[in-house]
Amino acid sequence: MKATVWGARGSVPAPGPETNRYGGNTSCVHVSLDDGSELVLDAGTGIRPLGLAMTGTAERIHILLTHLHMDHIQGLMFFAPLFHPKTDVIIYGPASPEASLMDRIARYISAPLSPVEVRELPCQVSFRDAPDIEWQIGSASVRASSVAHRGPTLGYRITEGDTSLAYIPDHEPALGASLDSLGDEWISGYALARDASLLIHDAQYTDAEYPAHMGWGHSRITDTLAFAHRVGAQRLALFHHDPMHDDDMLDGFVTDAAERWRERGCDPAQIAIARERRPLDFARPRAPDASASSASAPGSAARSPDVTSA
Amino acid sequence: MPEAQKPLELILARNLLSSISTPAFLVDAEGTLVFFNEAAGSLVGRRFEETGALGPREWGEAFGPFDAAGDPIPWDQLPLTIALQHGRPMHSRMHIHSSSGDLHDIEVSALPIVGTEGFRGAIAIFWPVGAEDGSAA
Repeated sequence: MKATVWGARGSVPAPGPETNRYGGNTSCVHVSLDDGSELVLDAGTGIRPLGLAMTGTAERIHILLTHLHMDHIQGLMFFAPLFHPKTDVIIYGPASPEASLMDRIARYISAPLSPVEVRELPCQVSFRDAPDIEWQIGSASVRASSVAHRGPTLGYRITEGDTSLAYIPDHEPALGASLDSLGDEWISGYALARDASLLIHDAQYTDAEYPAHMGWGHSRITDTLAFAHRVGAQRLALFHHDPMHDDDMLDGFVTDAAERWRERGCDPAQIAIARERRPLDFARPRAPDASASSASAPGSAARSPDVTSA
Repeated sequence: MPEAQKPLELILARNLLSSISTPAFLVDAEGTLVFFNEAAGSLVGRRFEETGALGPREWGEAFGPFDAAGDPIPWDQLPLTIALQHGRPMHSRMHIHSSSGDLHDIEVSALPIVGTEGFRGAIAIFWPVGAEDGSAA
């Protein structure tokens, strides 16, 4: 399994010179399985450049939506494979008693918000409620489970062989309760993320920012680290960067996170931060001595523990 | 992957109950009392950390609800049981004994919890009669 970040920003796109290094596109991660199957996690604005890169390379694409907030679907109607008649696109998302997944997405891909209607898409597109039991996509098994966020929201776990990816980009597991006070079975997302080779997790807020945003469905860094530690993730990629966080801030953010991870007695090389167009690392971290230097100093991409240095 | 994870609806309900001072019980779809908050603990004289989860009939017996005549209320007539078994809200007045033997006159409202994947459990909130000043616990 290989995974590449195409959008790591949360809430709203944040393009500009101050976000060039980490990127301004909203949530989208491309996952390629060993058998050639193509998965796309969320359809934020990052899916637009991904689609251009994929054009003509895949006959079937599985899009796994965690939820239908704009920052997770905004790029969908600009995903080039949707306009290729020979491409089969299967879109999964959370079930709702209110309306079908297609009808809810069609609210966006329809007038007056869109010049194109879902029924006009040239590709073969189908919409499926994510099953509540594990299912198979190509050579991977996929599991979806509801997680704590505003509105129906899923996290996903993709397992191929002995490699597992847990993707929980919008998540506030510590809302109303300290994670330290809860048993494992009472922690949102625990089963999805347990022992994952790589956990991609919401880290939108600093601890100082969080009180003003409590209940909005996102995590402060302290809770992100506590969750990752609790579930025993082998690697953590900080994700869903706040649009107010520029590159310099994120350099310091991840360096501080790695240091706090070290203070928990863990290897700071396990901590990374998602960066656009960069692959995510599934391999177990190298020896602590080699990895410690990558998190030792803030202020430059070379010294920050991003996904390529970890 | 472990299957013991509680449904999200119960997780959120527990987080809510643990954050409020209204005495409340939380039961899962099987009727097991999976949590009660500190305010409820004050009412019944025991903390959840002491009792742990209690089976469907255990919690009914443990807290011994009585009617106005002092007769035990059958488990299947308790508001929480009705919310569980029939999936509808229920309200009634009853008496309970705390572990210290104190008798409390309370009103109980039970509400079913239905998630996107079906019935998940129920919540019961308790209101000591005479606590109209808002300090239920």
